[in-house]
Amino acid sequence: MHGFLIYVLKRLGQFLFVVFTGVTLAFLIAHFSPVDPIEQTVSLLTSFGNTDPRSVELLRESLRELYGTDGSLLEQYFTFWGRVLTGDFGPSLSAFPTPVSTVIGRALPWTVGLLTLATLLAWTIGNLFGALAGYFRNNRFLKGVGVLVMSMQPIPTYIVGLTLIIVFGYLWPVLPISGGAQLNLEPGFTWAYISSVLVHGTLPALTLVCVGLGGWFISMRSLVSNIVTEDHVVYAELAGVRGRTIFSQYVARNAMLPQVTGLALTLGHVFGGAVIVEFVFNYPGVGKLLIAGIYAGDYSLVLGVTTIAIIAVAAAMFLIDILYPLIDPRVKLG
Amino acid sequence: MKFLRTIAVAAVASLLALPALAQDFIAGIPRNEALIIQGTPAQNADWFNVWAPGGGGAANVNGLQQLSTDTFWFINPEGGPKAWQNALATEPPIYNDDFTQMTVKLREGVYWSDGVEFTADDVVYTVQTLMDHPGMNWAAAFGVNVASMEQPDRNTVIFNLKAPNARFHALFTVRWNAAWIMPKHVFEKVDDPLAYNNNPPISLGAYVLHSYDKGGNWTIWKLRDDWQRTTIGMDWGQPQVKYVVYRAAGNPEARVIEQRNHNLDVINDIAPEGMFSIMKDNPTGAAWLSGFPYAHPDPTLPSVLFNTKKAPFDNKDVRWALALLIDIRAVALGSYRGAANLSALATPPTGSAPDDYFVPMQDWLTNFELDTGTRKIKPYDPNISEELAKMVRPQWGDQIPTDPEQLKRVFGFGWWKQDVQAATELLQKAGFTKQGNRWMKPDGTPFTIRVQVEGDAIPTLARAGTAIAQQWSQAGIDAKVDVAGPTNGQRLGSGDFETAIFWTIETWGGHPDLSFFLDSYHSEFIKPVGELQPPRNLQRWEDPRLDEIIERNRKVAFDSDEVKALGQDFLKLAVEEMPMIPLMAYNKFAPFDTTYWTNYPSIDNPYSASGPNWSNIRYMVVSLKAATPAAQ
Repeated sequence: MHGFLIYVLKRLGQFLFVVFTGVTLAFLIAHFSPVDPIEQTVSLLTSFGNTDPRSVELLRESLRELYGTDGSLLEQYFTFWGRVLTGDFGPSLSAFPTPVSTVIGRALPWTVGLLTLATLLAWTIGNLFGALAGYFRNNRFLKGVGVLVMSMQPIPTYIVGLTLIIVFGYLWPVLPISGGAQLNLEPGFTWAYISSVLVHGTLPALTLVCVGLGGWFISMRSLVSNIVTEDHVVYAELAGVRGRTIFSQYVARNAMLPQVTGLALTLGHVFGGAVIVEFVFNYPGVGKLLIAGIYAGDYSLVLGVTTIAIIAVAAAMFLIDILYPLIDPRVKLG
Repeated sequence: MKFLRTIAVAAVASLLALPALAQDFIAGIPRNEALIIQGTPAQNADWFNVWAPGGGGAANVNGLQQLSTDTFWFINPEGGPKAWQNALATEPPIYNDDFTQMTVKLREGVYWSDGVEFTADDVVYTVQTLMDHPGMNWAAAFGVNVASMEQPDRNTVIFNLKAPNARFHALFTVRWNAAWIMPKHVFEKVDDPLAYNNNPPISLGAYVLHSYDKGGNWTIWKLRDDWQRTTIGMDWGQPQVKYVVYRAAGNPEARVIEQRNHNLDVINDIAPEGMFSIMKDNPTGAAWLSGFPYAHPDPTLPSVLFNTKKAPFDNKDVRWALALLIDIRAVALGSYRGAANLSALATPPTGSAPDDYFVPMQDWLTNFELDTGTRKIKPYDPNISEELAKMVRPQWGDQIPTDPEQLKRVFGFGWWKQDVQAATELLQKAGFTKQGNRWMKPDGTPFTIRVQVEGDAIPTLARAGTAIAQQWSQAGIDAKVDVAGPTNGQRLGSGDFETAIFWTIETWGGHPDLSFFLDSYHSEFIKPVGELQPPRNLQRWEDPRLDEIIERNRKVAFDSDEVKALGQDFLKLAVEEMPMIPLMAYNKFAPFDTTYWTNYPSIDNPYSASGPNWSNIRYMVVSLKAATPAAQ
């Protein structure tokens, strides 16, 4: 038990170090962005309307004061950490004065829901077919699946997304190609709303599944291909154990261990958003928010999104590290 | 393998079941009662305070400024003789002799959507509140102009100005937007109007907020029961559109598909290819022009901007040489696939400008002489529209007009002839030399040019920049395209560019007065490179003759005949000095779908411009006719 405690403390230290370094880097990168939120706002307010040149500098000064962008980088850095520790990222500069946490809070459920579902689907289907393909190496159908999945994997996400839009939105228009739910539908735990969210999420999820499937399929097939040649499997076959039992109990189960680790790590990434898919399908998630924040120079928003993503990934790694000794007895402590 | 067969059957069955998942496009609202317009994704969807910067651009353009707000006057870029529209005012502004006082007579019988009557109290409260809160929109503009206000009765407001200003009314005159009037009875109860989200907004327009998506993807506006008590209702009659839906419809490809699926009646702005696809394949598609190039020319003028504070672009001979190296036909084909409305003058050829400036100045342009240092040339080509038409006719056939006068309205009145020899002479006059095929500057270093473009956000201009850089390269100049992305505005403002493809000229469109952009061109506003220049004169062009024109224009009444003469003086000076190379109008491709609504504005029925994010779109919304009986 003592060894496990030391192990947890070491991993906790690593977790805190990763979070501190990641968030600090994100802060510096965001603040060194050449995009100035004040100028973006001034541009929005003066682009098309009648603009008295004398008023522009006054507007700029007012916004600087309003947004609180004065102060040295160090002062802003300490202020930022103070806010992070209290879960407050300050006001969004592009949606002023709405707090960043509110803006992210609206987008996060969409992203987490979409990515969690898509990740679990890709993981389940990829591993299932990968395991079958590794075990039944001569099956023509599974060989065909392998060719299909591997040929889809290198296709860029946006190409897959646009292809699905053309197929299911234009050639055979049966699925919505934009947005998160039906227009003018009151959000709530009603069948109308839930079914609408599911229908609208189908194409974005399918895109992510198509793109994510290959990795899981290939890795699982390789793992299974190796395991089936191991002594315990050969012995089981010679001993007349049923094929289904060998597949599920002797092969797939052993091959799952690294895949579970991979799943946990991938789930940690869901808080960062699926930037391309959300953009292609105009999905109201964190990824789209992040891009909008970058373009607007809204470093409060960018930092909010990246900080949450960094903490989520680091937390997922930490949890895996903690759970691994319990799952895999080969991992020794101390 | 039974398992695999089961999976295959399930997959096929799922696909076949997909049509059963189809839902009504808008829950609870009949499609034929709703006009669906392309909107902008909003990060701050709860924000409806158009007077504070909180919503960024999106909050204001998703119907708020088009359907729920009002102010004194509108200038409808395509309004022709009716371009000037009195809205909350009963008549145009009344100035005293020295333009230090402006009186506004207000309309009676206009009501806010909560039943409170609009009066002069709202106007005075608006201006005072904005001046008292410097972070609010229009606060600074009022602060530098307004000394005091008087309210002799409930329908009259007098503005006493700090200094003479014959264009003070422009602050209340809508082109894209203007200073909107606040509901005093709402905002006077608010502690901090800057932090107030104004949700739901009390409307002064014909529509009121119905519902919106907190994720920022759509906003729905409903026709007011008392639409007769609004200025648009009084002047334009009963609207047939009961609901207006602004929806963010995704990427450009998705927008085209959505319109072909009849889920998007009005697209704001797409690339030429999308427009051509819709007009070719969608039998219910419509556009400003029924044939090629389909687009509406906005009163905005994309140009090659020169940073005149950086050598060698401070030399007008160099600027003219670069203009004469351009083959505008290739630029038009490369940027707009030929669908460009060219302009040699520094004003967009749209709205009233063709009749105010382009037609009257054709003789001057044709006879304009340029001294290359060795000879005098007449660089203007008044027949460029026919050449462009000839180039696109093989693809578009009968859609291309044959009448030369009509061609000029579609493709432009003329442009500069590509003249490499004259450009060579001008560069030599400026001290440049040629080594092999490379031009060297007077100091002996290679002549390099960075051509700054914004990038994918405005693909047509990025393509124009690429075409121009290629042509300059072919002539022996080391020209490279520099994609600035979201930093484009800042770099233009601080002078961190050599040349750029952007616009610094926007006009009212429906009125000859050029003060909309011209006043900011005065040398008093020019900042050193490195400091931020106020919008418009980003080329930092400085000329005493220019200042003189601006100062004269400031003292002339808005509707004076002298306005056009001063405008022509400016345009002649801009041709002579070439501080930017005007290219073309910003052709906006805004296709319509006529499945549910008809009577969209067009060149044959030009009652409104077609940009749905412009406030003038209100004229279109109330003029549409239902295509299906159920909505009538």
